[in-house]
Amino acid sequence: MPFPSRSAAVVGVYTTKQGKKLGVSTHQLEIEAIQGALADAGLTVADVDGLIPLSTEATYRTMMQWVEQLGGNPTYLESASPVGGIAKATAAIAAGMANVVVLFWGNAHASVGAKGAQQQQGAKASSVRAPRVGDMHWMIHGAYMVPWYALWTQRYMHEFNVPQEKLAEYAVIARHHATLNPASLMGDKGEITVDDVLSSPPVALPLHRLECSLDNEGGYALVVASAEVARNCKKKPVWILGGAERAFTDSYSTFTADWLNNSRSAVKRATDIAFEGAGVTRADIDVAGLYDCFPVTVARDLEEMGFCGRGEGADMIAEGHLRLGGSLPTNTDGGLLSNSHNMNPGGMHAIEVTRQLRGECDRRQVKDARIGVVLSQGWSVLGLAGTAILAAD
Amino acid sequence: MTTPYLKPLPEKAPAFQEFWDAMANKQFTAPKCQSCGDWNWPYYPNCRSCLSGDLVWTPVSGRATLFSYTIVHRAGGAFGADVPYVIVMAELEERPRSMIVLGNLIGVNHEDIRIGMPLRVAYEAIPDEDVTLYRFEAA
Repeated sequence: MPFPSRSAAVVGVYTTKQGKKLGVSTHQLEIEAIQGALADAGLTVADVDGLIPLSTEATYRTMMQWVEQLGGNPTYLESASPVGGIAKATAAIAAGMANVVVLFWGNAHASVGAKGAQQQQGAKASSVRAPRVGDMHWMIHGAYMVPWYALWTQRYMHEFNVPQEKLAEYAVIARHHATLNPASLMGDKGEITVDDVLSSPPVALPLHRLECSLDNEGGYALVVASAEVARNCKKKPVWILGGAERAFTDSYSTFTADWLNNSRSAVKRATDIAFEGAGVTRADIDVAGLYDCFPVTVARDLEEMGFCGRGEGADMIAEGHLRLGGSLPTNTDGGLLSNSHNMNPGGMHAIEVTRQLRGECDRRQVKDARIGVVLSQGWSVLGLAGTAILAAD
Repeated sequence: MTTPYLKPLPEKAPAFQEFWDAMANKQFTAPKCQSCGDWNWPYYPNCRSCLSGDLVWTPVSGRATLFSYTIVHRAGGAFGADVPYVIVMAELEERPRSMIVLGNLIGVNHEDIRIGMPLRVAYEAIPDEDVTLYRFEAA
């Protein structure tokens, strides 16, 4: 059965203030995001009949609390990764299970950095006794997200003979885009060079501070609605042409050795299905929003998504294709390195591409952007991925 | 008085008891399926090849190859006192399923670390705790 192209559209998007110590609760961020995205669409909470809390750890209990909080309006519940949620919402709408689905996220405390990793596991530093964690936990070896991606970066550079400068160029591009986005966290710090990136303080070599995601608070929401609802919304609908969510391996635990040469990666499969369903080609894409927690992630996204061959992602970055004005303008908001990383930021890329396709991006607007692709992923492109193809008309 | 070891240690859940018992005797083991013969590191309750629940912690040679490494300069908790330290992904020699073990590399100058270098499992009994941890060293 083909993907129900154009059965649904992104009709509302909203981002709260992103930053450190916002002084509000996670719940306040979520409420603000939900109400903001509905207002952007010209809808109210009474119109909402579907809900996707954007956490892969959201339980039905959590979701029922949200049903109650929102006045009992949502009746259809789904859990999903951020962009996978756009695909699932479209499928639900096409199947008649919902008309207006809100996807939302907020985070006012958690941290993915060196300290946060320990706090999340309840392993607070003690002066008297070693904390106990799961038997195979990477914390026993002093690992957390940055070392994990450093291991991946190191192997990538080795396997494909890639100089680090080519990957570091991604941080330069992301910062350039952030300087054109007044809402970004790093835009007012100005442009950076590859030298700046590689001489910034080492975090887990080969990765330096400027190659790492930001680590901040913030919330956001998207509203996906049926074609009928979408045509009467306040803003121009951004149509969902294709989409998919795919999972493959628990790679943060299993460390599969063939992670660079695996035809079953979640990103590859989700993206192939999304393009097939959308009936467009890679060459049709005017703007992209790709998960970019570290430069190597972007290189691997490009490869697994079929925008270049394996091992060629770093070249694509270094050659400037991802810059505004390049052949595939990517993460025009500054992405996770220079805009915001609020713990589960995968939906932010979809929001930026939606704004691009609406023509709302002012100085960073991609001229005549009509078709965009968005990708959220986790577990290093192998594990979990959601891809969606969006169109302005 | 010695400084206590304050970095995270394994909880020693029942499924891992035999593993940690063998570690105390300086023997690294991995789950081996008694039905199809495949190795299964890391541990999952059932074999990832045939779903058999008949897995036995079985000694491996301890020989491995350095698959990737990172030199960590920023760390939280008690690891903060150890920086810079090295984390490696060590690929054990047993097959057919590739088994990559995450651990700390000890006794190698940072400038001498190379992907592909031969490693072997090393054992560190943690003072005043009931745990012997695995590390890796140059073979």
